[in-house]
Amino acid sequence: MNTHNLYFVAAMGIFLVVLIAIAGYYYSRGLRSSQAGWDELLAKLARIDRDNIAQVALDLVDESGRPRQSEDAANLEPRQLWRLVGGLEGLELLEANSEVLIDMAFYVQQWYPEAIVIAERLRLDARELKWHVNRLKGAAQKGNLQVSFPFYAQHAVATYYLMTRRVLGLYEAGNFSMLAELQKAL
Amino acid sequence: MHLTDLDLLFWAAGFLAHLGLLFVLWYRRRAAAFPLFTALITLGSAQTIILYFVFHYGTKRSYFYTYWSLTMIDTMLQLGVVYEISSRVFRPLDVWAQDVRSSFVWLMGLSVSVALGLSLLASPPAHTWMHAFTYKGNLFAAALMSELLVAMLALAVSVRLPWRGHTAAVAKGLGAYSLVTVLIETGHSYFGGSRESPIFVFFSHVRMAAYLCCVSYWIIALWPDEWAGRTMTREMREKLFTLHARLEYDLNHLRSRNKL
Repeated sequence: MNTHNLYFVAAMGIFLVVLIAIAGYYYSRGLRSSQAGWDELLAKLARIDRDNIAQVALDLVDESGRPRQSEDAANLEPRQLWRLVGGLEGLELLEANSEVLIDMAFYVQQWYPEAIVIAERLRLDARELKWHVNRLKGAAQKGNLQVSFPFYAQHAVATYYLMTRRVLGLYEAGNFSMLAELQKAL
Repeated sequence: MHLTDLDLLFWAAGFLAHLGLLFVLWYRRRAAAFPLFTALITLGSAQTIILYFVFHYGTKRSYFYTYWSLTMIDTMLQLGVVYEISSRVFRPLDVWAQDVRSSFVWLMGLSVSVALGLSLLASPPAHTWMHAFTYKGNLFAAALMSELLVAMLALAVSVRLPWRGHTAAVAKGLGAYSLVTVLIETGHSYFGGSRESPIFVFFSHVRMAAYLCCVSYWIIALWPDEWAGRTMTREMREKLFTLHARLEYDLNHLRSRNKL
């Protein structure tokens, strides 16, 4: 076997192994996600102080989720916001929970395919939340976290709050038995 | 070129399997949902008949050109099926999901680059440039198809778009077959040789056996209907969509404030 052919066979071997490994990893991840039961989903939700979340979100939106008039909105001080949200780590927990909320909508979609509208919306909301968190992580690396935090964090929390309202609305509309547990967890 | 009993058996089995799959696609009304996949399978059936007659009544040269012309159409249709699968996975509400477009284009670019790099690295022991080009082209197509299908699977799982039902069955079958063809094309590019050489015949048989398994899987997987789910009551739908519309409006308001 000449050197060139040796490189070619080695490259093809690595290519195939990597491709099969990626396919196997994502296939099993997808399978786990689609087969997750209700208890498993609920257990994945990180415990977050919902009163704090509500307080931060309700500073921007009202109880029904409607944005407040600009003069009443965003009254919380940056220090208060940091404490209520739990800093960047608190936002990372919201980010992780937003993924579980999507799975919860997909859980309903197994029986009611029409719930895809909510699931898709939640998916895009979660991307938005992730975008806010990433902006803050970038700001933290540049040493600008204190300046950027109030704006991005409050919008991220409001997005998360509206996501929880969407999921609760979905379970309420379907009159699912899990609603009580979900209300407790969120 | 001499055909053995095993060659003829594979030809006949492949033709019958294609007919069986076409029957499932039309009788069970899957063809409307997967027009490009149906076209690919139709081409597969036609290919067997056309090549059979060209082989018996044509010249070696005409067989060569017919074979590679059909293979090129087949590759184009396979890429079309990849598009068909992605349009079903990444368009959950009949429009492309906004967040996957850039990742999809990036992954396509990466797949083409890697496939091109691998095919350039190959140096098949071919006597003519056309043979070398054929080996490299086949390797490129096989690598690209397998990469695209794996990339689509990874992207769908990452962005949490479900990959299920008949779409998943078509993708899984094509993905598994593409991985086998990468292995076979690597062998072809390494060993080279004429169509009569034992190694070429061996690889052809492996490819046909893998393809037969794949078609049989499609026949079984596409026969039953997809789970249709329950229909929401009018009250449920109204509640849900009122809430959805309101929150949608509110979020847009928040976003517009975000831009200020």
